[in-house]
Amino acid sequence: MSPDPATLSRRRFLGRALGATAVLPALARPARAQAKPTIAFWNGLTGADGKVMDELIDRFTGETGIHVEQQRIQWADLYAKLQVSVPAGEGPDLALIHTVEVPHFASDGILEPIDDAVLAGKRFRGEDYLPSTWQGGVFQGKRYAVPLDVPQHILYLNVKVMRDAGLVGPDGKPKVPGSGAEMVAMAKQVTKGDVFGFGIGTVNPGKYTWGFQHLLWQNGANVYTADLKRAAVAEPAAIEAAEYWGAFHAVHKVAPPANASCRDAFIAGRLGMWLAGSWNFTGLREAKVDFTVAPVPRLLKQPVVWTMPHQFTFPRPKAVDAGKREAAWTYLRWITDHVAEWTLRAGQVSASRKAHTDPRITGDPVLRTLLAQAPNWQGGQPTPKWVAAENLTRPVIETVYIGQRPARAAMEDLARQIDALPA
Amino acid sequence: MSAGRARRRAAGRGRLREGPLTPWLFLAPGLALFVGFRLYPLLDGLRLSFTNARLGRAGYAFVGLANYRRLLDDTRFHTSLLNTGYYAAASTVPVLALPLALAVLLDRGIPLRTVLRSAFFFPFTLSVVTVGLTWLWLLDPVVGPFNYALRTLGIPVRSWLADPATAMWAIILTTVWWVTGYYLVIYLAGLQDIPRELYEAAALDGAGGGRRFRSITLPLLRPVLLFVLVTHVIGSFQIFGQVFILTNGGPGDATRTVVQHLYETAFQNFFHFGAATAMAWVLFALILGFSLLQFRVLRGHTEY
Repeated sequence: MSPDPATLSRRRFLGRALGATAVLPALARPARAQAKPTIAFWNGLTGADGKVMDELIDRFTGETGIHVEQQRIQWADLYAKLQVSVPAGEGPDLALIHTVEVPHFASDGILEPIDDAVLAGKRFRGEDYLPSTWQGGVFQGKRYAVPLDVPQHILYLNVKVMRDAGLVGPDGKPKVPGSGAEMVAMAKQVTKGDVFGFGIGTVNPGKYTWGFQHLLWQNGANVYTADLKRAAVAEPAAIEAAEYWGAFHAVHKVAPPANASCRDAFIAGRLGMWLAGSWNFTGLREAKVDFTVAPVPRLLKQPVVWTMPHQFTFPRPKAVDAGKREAAWTYLRWITDHVAEWTLRAGQVSASRKAHTDPRITGDPVLRTLLAQAPNWQGGQPTPKWVAAENLTRPVIETVYIGQRPARAAMEDLARQIDALPA
Repeated sequence: MSAGRARRRAAGRGRLREGPLTPWLFLAPGLALFVGFRLYPLLDGLRLSFTNARLGRAGYAFVGLANYRRLLDDTRFHTSLLNTGYYAAASTVPVLALPLALAVLLDRGIPLRTVLRSAFFFPFTLSVVTVGLTWLWLLDPVVGPFNYALRTLGIPVRSWLADPATAMWAIILTTVWWVTGYYLVIYLAGLQDIPRELYEAAALDGAGGGRRFRSITLPLLRPVLLFVLVTHVIGSFQIFGQVFILTNGGPGDATRTVVQHLYETAFQNFFHFGAATAMAWVLFALILGFSLLQFRVLRGHTEY
C-alpha cells in the first residue's frame, strides 16, 4: 500500500530525497561523458585585450562546444597565484605567461614540459614562428610553452604637442628623433610648463624596467653575464645606459615625474613623445587623441627593441585529465589559426608568421610599424633568477631617475643585490 | 524504555553537564578556529623561519638561525625598519591630536554635530584600496587636482609621492584622513564618560577652558589615549596597504616598510617563506616590545 502523499512523513520524505540525489547523478553520468569539457584558462589580459579574448573565446565555444573559463588577473598576482595553486593541484588547465617567467616556473616544476611529438601532432612547427618567440618557450633543452604574440613598444607622437613645439615636417607630421642626442634636444624643445617632452612607460616611468631594458640592450649591456653566473649591470655599458635613462628626468627635466601616469599625460596633451606598449593604441584612438607612431628609436648603440612575448603553458596538474588537455590543445590550435583577428583588435603582433602577410594587418600603419621591428626584437636571459633581478631593478633605477643617486653607485648596488639572490 | 535506563541516561546527562569537560565543550568551536587559524599558523611560521622553505619546492632543510643572520646584512630590511619607525613616530602626533581636537569640539554640542560626526567617520568606512587610489589620483603630479589647485594659486608644485622628502608625509596625510573618524568616535565615547559635574565644579572654581582640558579631560581620558596610542602604533608597524598603492615603497626605497619587504620576499621574489617568516617574527618582537613599553609608561588611572 503506498502512503497517501499528504501524510508523507518528514523522515520518509527526506529518505526519498536522499535516494533521489544519489541516483540522479548516476543517471546523468552517460550524458556528461559525451559533453564537451570546460577548461580553466588564467591570464593577465586585464585591459581591452581581455574583452577581445572574451569575444574570440565565445566564437571558439560556438564552433567547438568547448567552454573556456577565463580568469583574468593582474600579471603580478597571476604569477603569485600560479606558484601557490599549482603545487596544491588547483592550477588551471592553461595559463598565459610572459616569456621571462618561463625559466623560473619551469625550474620550480610549475609547468609541464611539452613533448615535441605531441607538438608536431598538433601542427605547431618552429619554422612557422619568429625564432626569438619560439626559443623563449624552451628552458634547459625542454619546451614548456607555445608563443601567442609579442607585446612591444612603439614611439607615440602627440601631433598637437609636437606642432606647438614646432617639431613637424613639411607634411604636417611630427618629426621623429634619429639618435639619443636628437631625442634629448627635441624633448627639451617640447618641454614647457607642465608639458613634458619624452616619457617611457604607462605609469610610474621612474621604475619602468621595460623601458630601461631597451636602453640596456641598445647599449650592448645585459643583466647577467653570458654564463649567467653573475650580474652584468655594473659594467660600463650598463652604467652608461642608466645615466642616459636617469638624465631625462634628473638632469634635462624633460620627462614626467617618477610616479606620473604617462598615458594620462599623453591623452591630456601634456606629453609630446611617449615610448609605450603597442596595446595602448586602440585606447588612444577611442580617446580621439591625434597621434602618429614611429618605431622604437635607436637612442644608444644598437636598434634593439625589448619584448616579452606571451606564451601558452600547461601548469602541472596532479593527474592529467586527457579530455581537458585535448580541449586545451584544440583551443590553442584555434586561437593560433585565428591570431590575425587577435592582432587586429588587441594590437599585439602574433608570434606565428602566418598572420604577418594578412592585408588587414599590413594595411594598418601601427601594426605595420610593429611588424617592421621584428628583426630587432630582444628577449630576456634563460635564468630562473631573471624575474627576481628585474624586481630588484625597479627601485634602483628609480633612484637614478629622481637624481637621488648617481648611476654608477646605483648600478653597483644593484649588481650586489642581484649577486646576493639566493639560489 | 525501562525506568532504570531512563534514570541512567538522566544521570549520564547530569555528569556531562556538571563535569570538567562541559566548559571545554562550550569553548570548543571558538577554540578550534583559534587553534586552526591563529595558533597553528603562528607556530608553524616560527618553525618555517628556521628553514629554507620556498613555496613551490617540495623539500626544505633546517638552516638554524641563518634567516635571522641574513637580516643583519639585508640593507633593504634595515631601510624598511627605519622607514616604518619614522612613519610610526611621525604619524602618532597627528593621529592622536587631530581626532581629539575634533572630538572636543563635537562634544561641546556645536550645530550639525551628528552630520559632522558622520562626515568625519565616512572615510573610515572605505577600504584602504579605495583610499589609496583616491589619493593617488588627487596627488598625481601631472593631472591631479591637488597640483592643479596649487598651480592656479601660483604655488610651485612638486611630485609629492615621487619625492623622497615628501612621499612619507603624503602617506601620513592619507592615513590621518582615513583613520581620524574612527579615533574620533572612540574619543567621543571617552569624553561622554567624564562626569559633567567635574567641569561645573572646575568652572565655579574659576578654571578656564585650557585648564579644564589639562586637568580634567586629559587625565580622565588616559585609558582611551592609551588605547588609541597602542592600536595606532601596532597598526603603524604593520602599515602596508597605503604604501603598496601610493608609492609601492618608492621613490627608490624611501617609503619601503617592513611588511612590504616581507610581502615581496614571501610572494614576489622566489617565495622565500623561511626568510619572510623570520622578518615577521622580528616585527612581532618589536611590536610586542613597544606595546609593553607604552603600557608601562601610560599605566595608572586618574580618579577624582
